[in-house]
Amino acid sequence: MKRGVFVLALVLAAFLAVGCGGGQSQASSVPVKIAVALPMTGDNAEYGKSFLTAAEIMVEKWNKAGGVLGKQIELVIYDDKNSAEEAASIAQKIVSDKDIIGVLGHFSSGVSMTAAPTYQENKVIEISNCASHPGYSKIGNYIFRNNTVISAEFNVIVDVVANDLKLNKVGIIAIKTDWGNTAGGIAADLVKANPKLTLVAHEEVLETSDDHGPAIAKLKAAGAEAVIAVGMYSLYGPLARQYKEVDPKIQLLGVSNAYTQQIIQLGGDAVEGLFAPVSFFAQSDDPEVKAFVDEFKKRFGMEPSALAAQAYDSIGILLEAIKSAGSLEREKVRDAVNSISYPGITGPTNFDSIGDADKKFQKVRIQGGKFIQYKG
Amino acid sequence: MAIFIQQLCNGLALGLVYALVAVGYSLVFGILRLINFSHGAVYAFGAHAAFFFVGLNFGPVPAIIAALVITGLLGVVIDKTALAPLRKKRSVPIAALVTTLGISNIIQNLLVVKFGSQRKPFPDFFNLGAFTLGGIQFSSRQFVMFGVSLVLLLLLLLVVNKTKIGLAMRATAQNAKAASLMGINVNSIITLTFLMGGASAAIAGGMVGGYYQVVYPGMGFMIGLKAFAASVLGGIGSLPGALVGGLLVGVIESIAALYIGSNYRDSMAFIILIVVLIVRPAGLFGKNEVVKV
Amino acid sequence: MDITGRLERFFSQRRIFFFAVVIALLAALPAFGFSRYIMRICIVISIYSMLTLALNLVAGYTGQLSMGNGGFYAIGAYTATLLMINAGLSFWSSLVVAAAFAGISGFLLGLPTLRLKGSYLTIVTLGFGEIVRMILMNWDTVTNGTLGVRNIPLPSLFGVSLSFTNHGLYYLALVLTALVSVFCALVINSKVGRAFIAIREDEIAAQMMGIKTVRYKVLAFVLSATISGIAGAFYAPMVGYIDPNSFTFDISSQIISMAILGGLGTMRGMYFGAAALIVFPEVSRFLMDYRFVIYGLILVLMMRFRPQGLLGWRTRLPYRFGKVLERQLAAEGSLPPLL
Repeated sequence: MKRGVFVLALVLAAFLAVGCGGGQSQASSVPVKIAVALPMTGDNAEYGKSFLTAAEIMVEKWNKAGGVLGKQIELVIYDDKNSAEEAASIAQKIVSDKDIIGVLGHFSSGVSMTAAPTYQENKVIEISNCASHPGYSKIGNYIFRNNTVISAEFNVIVDVVANDLKLNKVGIIAIKTDWGNTAGGIAADLVKANPKLTLVAHEEVLETSDDHGPAIAKLKAAGAEAVIAVGMYSLYGPLARQYKEVDPKIQLLGVSNAYTQQIIQLGGDAVEGLFAPVSFFAQSDDPEVKAFVDEFKKRFGMEPSALAAQAYDSIGILLEAIKSAGSLEREKVRDAVNSISYPGITGPTNFDSIGDADKKFQKVRIQGGKFIQYKG
Repeated sequence: MAIFIQQLCNGLALGLVYALVAVGYSLVFGILRLINFSHGAVYAFGAHAAFFFVGLNFGPVPAIIAALVITGLLGVVIDKTALAPLRKKRSVPIAALVTTLGISNIIQNLLVVKFGSQRKPFPDFFNLGAFTLGGIQFSSRQFVMFGVSLVLLLLLLLVVNKTKIGLAMRATAQNAKAASLMGINVNSIITLTFLMGGASAAIAGGMVGGYYQVVYPGMGFMIGLKAFAASVLGGIGSLPGALVGGLLVGVIESIAALYIGSNYRDSMAFIILIVVLIVRPAGLFGKNEVVKV
Repeated sequence: MDITGRLERFFSQRRIFFFAVVIALLAALPAFGFSRYIMRICIVISIYSMLTLALNLVAGYTGQLSMGNGGFYAIGAYTATLLMINAGLSFWSSLVVAAAFAGISGFLLGLPTLRLKGSYLTIVTLGFGEIVRMILMNWDTVTNGTLGVRNIPLPSLFGVSLSFTNHGLYYLALVLTALVSVFCALVINSKVGRAFIAIREDEIAAQMMGIKTVRYKVLAFVLSATISGIAGAFYAPMVGYIDPNSFTFDISSQIISMAILGGLGTMRGMYFGAAALIVFPEVSRFLMDYRFVIYGLILVLMMRFRPQGLLGWRTRLPYRFGKVLERQLAAEGSLPPLL
């Protein structure tokens, strides 16, 4: 029996030790902490890692210049594997660390929306550089979106098809995910609403499959002249190759996701002529953009995507807001974010009352194996 | 109609690749009565090996051959390190099944660590251009894929049915104990089986990589399950069964994607699987095994 | 004496004392003032304990490895959610209906497929899990497709909403796990449980003894599905959001890993396996990329060196290879060839 009591005491002591560990962390010279909650393993790890690289570049830039409010800035990294369950538990972990003022994340809309209520409730500012679901930013006034609003992107795309290319029959091919579903639906509505365009087919494909033959066959049979492809980078290469094989003349258009070097690597000749609206153009002459692109290339081995650039700006916005608020008080920083006018590398950014960023678009097209700016 | 024929060709080409992967399941099942869950991951490994050797400026053919050798060896290593000890201990079948599940986890995630999880460009090996036949567009990739798989499968059938080694394999599959009494080295037959399974998976991986021109660590999961469904449909353990099963799964899937919708294509393999197992568990070419009490 | 032997003796001699301590500790846990993050992990552990207990009935006691339990979990979660949101039912009645519905689907899957043996059965259950996910993804009008269902209300009791803050969710998880555990223990120690074990040990012999094997196998499946359904019905309001990707093959595979790590055919092994594999990724986030590799290694090493599971002592179980089994294998000659 003695031994039993001893074990019991040990177990109790261990529990208590763990329990107390969580509570005390209010030291004076703590750094300003920003959480990065993104997929670092799993299928979307490349996105997460590239956003993290961008965020690190911005933080180092600030730290070199003396930090913010005289304190150094520290990124706390969490891997949510792009899973809602993981994200919910990470959100709990983040809000229980009182030094964390804001979060960059999460990756997909569904995951962001699972975690967002926890941040809202605990007044932690969440800025997502990639959530696109319309409902995301409506969750609360601490929830911000520094990403293009998908309907604005499609407005540009529809305009290109109708007025620049003067094509009429439009097909849509969308991936079967929460994002692809919503975005594809929005695209379809906009095409239908445009008197110059006819929507001839709307196909869905699985993200896990690289064989788009059946969907292409249907789009072609419906007589599509232009196809709006709604997917991640991985959709465009195989889609373009398979489509060009059955219809070399087809005009493909992508969303801003398509603007990455990977699709040129994966698509080769087949993605020539592909259009995409972007908020960020890496080949731009702007010195600020150049400096970021060079540094990013050095660390990550490839050009930054628009989403990575938005991650860079998101951290910048948060730090700038802390600086202008002059304190780490949650309410003040939040107000500062909301009223900010930030001259970022993804164009001048300010947030509307819901928390959505208002972005300007440039049109880019692939020509000669690289993206070039397209002017109407 | 043109669409239908196009999809039929697409399905046949895909189907033969499924068949090539299915052979790996059948070979191992035939000899060990074991469903080798790691086979899909081995296939992804084969594709990545080919991708790796292409990156070292091997030509396409030497790259695939190098990949084939190294993947075959991987198959042997899996058997020697993880499965052979279980046989020695006479563990229950579930132990081996769970082991292969674990191996699949290990291989796939080591690939992620080494190559990253994203899709990587794979060179366009066998594109001889598209051509039109009777108003229908065909891709030459499909024909190359179809041709190569068919030749390999026939070769494999020939080896199993007409050579001495094949005879030894069939003998081991029928009764390992009796085979060993007849002077067959059962252990080396098992090694050979894993070698062949790994090699055929590498070829399939290289070809699918070349067909879609992408490789990524997760590519083996679905195709592994589909190929498994194919081998069960044909009668697991039977090589002609794997061939026919693969073709059927490929065609049914492509046609279903056309008429029901692309988002149902992956479920077709499972529906086929369940129906076959309920209606005719031994598959089209399999023999019912009599359980002796 | 080796360590496991000592542990074994320690626990079996002081079983009741040990139970009492654990129950008291668990009930008092919220009083220690752990962070919400830690409480959440405890709740997730209890959900997975229910799932592994469910798997244990089928795989541990009846000897039929199911890889589709993620499917029942999904059915439970979706049924409860849709009833709460669309039909406005309370959590409690949704829970009951969801459990029943999962049980019925277990019956439907069980009836035709349980005539299959061994690996074949395993594969069909795997296929079942995937088909459930495909249906959830594509039946947009009912399940809301890939968008999933959001804002699932928390359960409430006498008008009080059970949340993380008031530890209501934690106690609910605890009570559900306790009920499931008691139920499993009762089943295992009843005539039914003995029939299960008889089937596992030797199906043909069981049949000879007059046990209606198909009937009992279906029953095992139904019970397993029902419990998984309960776990799902609790999971949905706990996270507040479900979509088809919450229920991938990874869940089924994780449940199996947990059960095997702890020791199939034991109940203590289930709690231990669930706790170990939930806590492990949480504390090893720094290992990042290698986490899943280690996961796989666990399975391989367990099978090689301790197939009965870490806590699998004194189990009357298939994964312990006594002389009887060896003799039987030898007598059968080639039948289970080599493996």
